[in-house]
Amino acid sequence: AISLARIGSSGINAEYGEVGRLCYIRLGDNAGKTCVIVDLVDQKRLLVDGPHCGLARQVIRLKNLAITDLKVKIARGCKTNVVRAAVTKEDIANKFLQTSLSKKAESKKAKAALGDFDRFKLRVAKTAHNRKIRSAVRKLKKSS
Amino acid sequence: KEIGGDKNGGSRIVPTQRESRYYPTEDVRRRLANRKKPGMAKLRSSITPGTVLILLAGAHRGKRVVFLRQLNSGLLLVTGPYKINGVPLRRIPQCYAIATSTHIDVSDVTIPEQCIINEAYFKGEPKKKKRSEDMFEETQDDKKPREQRIKDQKTVDDQILPKISGVSHLKKYLSSLFSLRKG
Repeated sequence: AISLARIGSSGINAEYGEVGRLCYIRLGDNAGKTCVIVDLVDQKRLLVDGPHCGLARQVIRLKNLAITDLKVKIARGCKTNVVRAAVTKEDIANKFLQTSLSKKAESKKAKAALGDFDRFKLRVAKTAHNRKIRSAVRKLKKSS
Repeated sequence: KEIGGDKNGGSRIVPTQRESRYYPTEDVRRRLANRKKPGMAKLRSSITPGTVLILLAGAHRGKRVVFLRQLNSGLLLVTGPYKINGVPLRRIPQCYAIATSTHIDVSDVTIPEQCIINEAYFKGEPKKKKRSEDMFEETQDDKKPREQRIKDQKTVDDQILPKISGVSHLKKYLSSLFSLRKG
């Protein structure tokens, strides 16, 4: 596989934008969907395809993506049906749902959908929670 | 009209309404009559009976109240309930309320007829103008609500309060004030 520009966190465990890597689209019209890298266009753009998400094959900018550590085995520039078959074979969609990135995105979405009463209940729960922690800390401080 | 005096002919016909002594030198243009009457304001689709509203203006600004129904004048009839946040059965204009997505089932709540039909029910007592002698005297204004209002408030609130206590945290929510926060 041809390595592309490093877009993950720097370090030993840096993720590479390679062919077959699953990416999460952070920004734009298709935000929230996942896609597989099929080919590279240049330093900043990738050709992606997401048949499992209903995402059409398209060129997308790196900055709109967040790469995951999941990967699918496909050849560079392969057709959409090949991508689809590979994705279903490795059940990548479900594997993605278990990643922390997916869970964080879900909770963000849920938080945005809260109503005024829900936000109030959240606040009440948070203060109660923090109060418990603080009282426990105070007790420990006193005893030490 | 009878007129006194001997030689004045006893009685005379006098106009009952005299014309004023003053009239302008040029004819004053008469304005066209405005026959428009405000209709009942269209109720926003987000406001239905039982919706919790946030009041934006007036003495009770920031308070969360329960919407009961729209009156014929277009104003919204709301109640705190009074025991929870001190808002009585009150009329508010629709534009000064934010509707939340929280609802209470008030379909079986009966509101006293006078509140709905008679708008004068809600009108306050006219303030007594102080005379110049009394201007510096401090008068005690006993602002007590009418007995009828207290009674009607109790009738309505007694129906609503058990529904509120049925939902967890709702009572606390209604007694808290709305404010803008970060995030």
